Amino acid sequence: MSVLQRLQADFQDYIVDLERRMAGNVVGTAKASAAQRLDIYAEAYRQRLVEALGKNFPGLAAWLGERAFDRLGVAYLDNHPSTHFSIRHFGHALSRFLATDAPYRERPALAEMAAFEWALAGAFDAADSPCLSVDDLGIIAPAQWPVMRFRLCHSVRRLDLRSNVPAIWQAIDRNETPPPPRAQKTPLAWIVWRQDLKTWFRSLAVHEAWALDAAMAGEPFAAICEGLCEWAAAEHVAAEAAGLLKRWISDGMIMQFEWSR
Amino acid sequence: MSGHQHTRPYLGFGLGLRPDHYETVLHSRPAVDWFEVLTENYLVPGGKPLHYLHSIREHYPMVMHGVSLSIGSTDPLDIAYLRRVKALAESIEAEWISDHLCWTGINGKNLHDLLPLPYTEEAIRHVVDSVSRVQDILGRQLLLENVSSYISYVDSVMTEWEFLSAVAERADCLILLDINNVYVSAFNHEFDPRSYLDQVPVERVRQFHLAGHRNLGHCIVDTHDAPVIDPVWELYAHAVRRFGEVSTMIERDDKIPPFKELLAELDHARRIASNVRAEVAA
Ligand SMILES: [Fe+2]
Repeated sequence: MSVLQRLQADFQDYIVDLERRMAGNVVGTAKASAAQRLDIYAEAYRQRLVEALGKNFPGLAAWLGERAFDRLGVAYLDNHPSTHFSIRHFGHALSRFLATDAPYRERPALAEMAAFEWALAGAFDAADSPCLSVDDLGIIAPAQWPVMRFRLCHSVRRLDLRSNVPAIWQAIDRNETPPPPRAQKTPLAWIVWRQDLKTWFRSLAVHEAWALDAAMAGEPFAAICEGLCEWAAAEHVAAEAAGLLKRWISDGMIMQFEWSR
Repeated sequence: MSGHQHTRPYLGFGLGLRPDHYETVLHSRPAVDWFEVLTENYLVPGGKPLHYLHSIREHYPMVMHGVSLSIGSTDPLDIAYLRRVKALAESIEAEWISDHLCWTGINGKNLHDLLPLPYTEEAIRHVVDSVSRVQDILGRQLLLENVSSYISYVDSVMTEWEFLSAVAERADCLILLDINNVYVSAFNHEFDPRSYLDQVPVERVRQFHLAGHRNLGHCIVDTHDAPVIDPVWELYAHAVRRFGEVSTMIERDDKIPPFKELLAELDHARRIASNVRAEVAA
């Protein structure tokens, strides 16, 4: 290990793990001791990263309140220090951390809030996708319909949530009092996506969630119709599927039709 | 004044582009000569950041300023990151690319802080080698900025300005001189900020930064959350006297005020620079 490597390791250990070894490598003066000087870096590190986490998860931060969120931020930082070049990426594992770590796992809605906000953040700066318009459906020959598959826009994210975190998030975003958290036995399906520059989210009925998941998995239109028979009479499924497709297109979620894989 | 001012590319007076001001900039087209954009904020796939970046680029020249190059880290360079930086620079035809003479973490960690290096021959050699490789990948000269610091290493064998100058000369790179950082480090380490400026090679300096800071008494912390203070303006005047016409911008990253306040602060920089020019011409 070179001298420079050793110094950097000691300095980083001071900042990240508060190991004091580095103090011997630093000049203390009458103005400020070595430890005082190093502590500026150590404190700024926690403050900066927790603040960044709060920007990436504003709903969770407001919902937990400043002190509890600070505690969470430091605990998360200790377990998942940033390894990405962008601080925008800090918090990618927060939902998982909340779901598995005590005491947070006792409140599963916290992990769901983090997953929901991470989906919003992901949709916000996902790659731009040229979207189809409903008119594009008009040029498809009848024989092509059954074998048609769908490429979804890059911003589309699917979540299943047991709790009402989207409503809580929305209230916080509008500076209103959030509703009390509620949880249901069966999760509700949600999508988050961006149309042009605006990020949207909505819940899906069970049959729509199934159809969208099938479309995202690359199933052709005929297979989606067949699957929808579970919820609708066979003579109505084609119209039902076409209706869903039109909605997805007009919401700006479909990028392309494809006929071969 | 030195003759270098005629060959050095000069953009005038700029500001840092911040999301709070996207709409104002796009719709009121303020009298700013150029914008500095934070590189990492635009290394994203799409959406608003890139939309505003490209829309505003249609009206203003831009330079890129990064915080994650970590040129002094003993970790290997992140080549994938550098390729993305290069592609972004090409897409906005960035006038130049800068980052900091510092390190931000080792063993794969990014502390997202600008940590100082020891001023040693070993560190110079390490940085010079990295800068050469970065410049090969980017296909252009890099600007390195002096950071503010709160510690000095027992190991250091030279001054910060000797270190900065040696890196620039030996790596053949350029300098982004942050006047506030010189002031902050001079306070923290008790040296004369003017003798720092007086010993930086004139022809290497391509850009100035100005910013506000927070004085804790025992140390000054570089916070970019307040207006530039008078002693830093005086130091800026001193720098203009020495370096001549250098593209100048004000950094504000926290407690971001309405855009017109930043414009007024930028006008203050313009006045100081033109007073110095008048004084030199007389
Ligand atoms: Fe700076």
